[in-house]
Amino acid sequence: MFTWAWKSLFSQRSTLLGSSLGIAGAFILVIFFDAVFRGESEQIVAYPEHMKPDVWVMQVGVGNMHMAMSYVWDWKMDVIARMPEVEKVTPILYFASVINAGEEKLFAFVVGLLPDADRAGPWAMTAGRKIQNPGEAVIPDVLSEITGIGMGDSLKITDHSFKVVGLSHGTYSSANSVIFVPFAELEDILSSAGTYSYLLVDAKDGVDAKALAARIRNQVEKVNALPHDEFIHNDFSLAMQMGVEIIFIMTVICSALAALIVGFTAYTLVSRKQRELAIIKALGAGRGTVMIAVVMQSVILTLMGYLVAVAFAFLVIPEVPLLAPQLTLAVSLGAILQIGLVAILVAIVGAVIPAWWVSRLDPATAYQV
Amino acid sequence: MFKLARKQLALDLVRTSLTAFAVGAVIAVILVLEGFEQGQYRQLEQIILKRNADLIATQSGVANFTAARSSLPQLARQDVESVAGVVNAHPLTVLPIIYNKENKLTPVYILVYDTRGGPDSIIEGSAIRKGRDIVIDRALARKYGLKIGDGFVVSDFEFQISGITGEAAFFMPFAFVSYDGMIDLFLKSEIAPDLSTFPLLSFLLIELEPGSDRMAIQQDIERQVPEVDVFTPEQLAERDVSMGRTFYRPIMGLLDTVAYVVGLLVVSLILFADVRSRLRSFAVMKALGFTQRHLLLLVLAQSLMLMALALPIGLLLAQALMMYIEAVAPVYLISIYQPLVFARTMIASLLLALIGALVPLRSLRRSDPVMAFQGA
Repeated sequence: MFTWAWKSLFSQRSTLLGSSLGIAGAFILVIFFDAVFRGESEQIVAYPEHMKPDVWVMQVGVGNMHMAMSYVWDWKMDVIARMPEVEKVTPILYFASVINAGEEKLFAFVVGLLPDADRAGPWAMTAGRKIQNPGEAVIPDVLSEITGIGMGDSLKITDHSFKVVGLSHGTYSSANSVIFVPFAELEDILSSAGTYSYLLVDAKDGVDAKALAARIRNQVEKVNALPHDEFIHNDFSLAMQMGVEIIFIMTVICSALAALIVGFTAYTLVSRKQRELAIIKALGAGRGTVMIAVVMQSVILTLMGYLVAVAFAFLVIPEVPLLAPQLTLAVSLGAILQIGLVAILVAIVGAVIPAWWVSRLDPATAYQV
Repeated sequence: MFKLARKQLALDLVRTSLTAFAVGAVIAVILVLEGFEQGQYRQLEQIILKRNADLIATQSGVANFTAARSSLPQLARQDVESVAGVVNAHPLTVLPIIYNKENKLTPVYILVYDTRGGPDSIIEGSAIRKGRDIVIDRALARKYGLKIGDGFVVSDFEFQISGITGEAAFFMPFAFVSYDGMIDLFLKSEIAPDLSTFPLLSFLLIELEPGSDRMAIQQDIERQVPEVDVFTPEQLAERDVSMGRTFYRPIMGLLDTVAYVVGLLVVSLILFADVRSRLRSFAVMKALGFTQRHLLLLVLAQSLMLMALALPIGLLLAQALMMYIEAVAPVYLISIYQPLVFARTMIASLLLALIGALVPLRSLRRSDPVMAFQGA
């Protein structure tokens, strides 16, 4: 019976191929949705991830960077810098807003750097140099590619113009392109004299970051201090949580679509082999055996679609940013495995109608002309 | 030809139903994806248009509303109100916060309003009546299981939910508080020491004298108050939508493309499988004198009829999905009934039917009249 299921499935290769591709397409949509949100989320934490201080200090009540607003008085930095466990404190000014880049309007994270704050600046440059003088800016290389704003061109943040002197690498995402500008000018834009947004605290060797964060929270009033990992976790969770509902919804929708394709194909296959199945039944095969064979066909079909989708995910999706550099996609093994579980469900649901149809098939059909 | 196609479809109703559902589901997915993108733009647009202003003043150099930081000097209000034709400049402050409850983080845009700019409509509960009241978006209420009368903690300050509204944009739920509430938040919460750094005035919602020339007053304000830029709500909405397009288009374009490819594959597969299963019937028809062109027209007619069956199913499915998404995640608006979305999906469906009908062409050619006389 199972040999029959296998052979009848592969006897109609074109149908099999078309169905597998259709099912794969439905799964690919889900994988894409997940990859988009995951990629954006990973890129959202790219800046803090690369800065990697031992402890992040920010305004009390704030626990992350993405879409957050934080102000800490400058004297608080001096208090922290004097702590015996602290090696160095680097302050940054930060705000998230819409900027005008040529014809485009983009959501960007603007980081204001003090002249000696190289530690908090871009970590990789594609062209040009880091900011050294007032009125200069370093923008992501992808942003430059998309907008056409290159070295020497100007960029507007509110009513302040900045001249692009460098292109940084790994700092672009649709949700937050990181733009570096001089501290004093950002301070002017934000009217935030005397304050910093975040303090990047580097601890001395052997100091436990968790303990240091706790000490800062206890000893410096109205600030929050988090070890690097916790800070990154908060940012990443926030970004992913923004997409988790739509990813779930798309998984449901696309899985239903895949189940329909499986159902259609399995039904087509069995209805075309109606007489063969009737003969098999007439020869004594039980209803259960025939139904299992149909389910098996559905499982093979779904598995093929799933494997095509997985191959696509690992071979094609990583290449997409080459064609569309503004997209940041990240394929996750966890998501692929989850879709695999959904695929099993899809195969079973898709087999319901053809299995029901086969179970009702009269063996006498075998003798009809 | 259409009669023959109809009879072919009526031969196996289970198969035709499955087929129509599969194609309908593809149409629904395309509609929902297109509607999702348009919905995001509509939300960005509506959040501005619903603020009930004739003109909106922003910080000089700021030309967006959602996700933009605008900070106006306190005196700007007085200066704008002194311009001829301006009745009132209602203050509006944007306070972006990250709401954290039980380790679930959500960025929320709090709009602080005084006499204008409050929630457009209250779905449940009431508008703000006292300082600590807050009106929150239903997506936020659903996500955290918040009800009227519940506390809503920002920093360590507790607001009380007085109403639920339906205003969200850019994946973010909005909330509304009064200036009394904001001052209480600033003075009584832990963020008080850093009060001076917060933008206390973000936008001015300008109310003009009835019948006045909006454009002329817009220019007058910009000339007389250099600290502000002035836009009509429509201009500002257009700029936000443009910003939204920069963000969404590459992603949604990619997803739309995948959805269309899946659609084409499904329609082609269905028609291909159908033609393959009826090769003998086609052979008989050829033996009876039907030409290749007739057979192609038959497949085309069948494809179009199938699409005609699938379209209403697709619409119903899309409507059901829209209601489902609205119930599960009300932060997303799905606008499938926008003319652009509708027209584009309908044209695409028609194209899918036409292209899909061409796929089984090779199989049609292979149906030899001799097959008609062969045994099964």
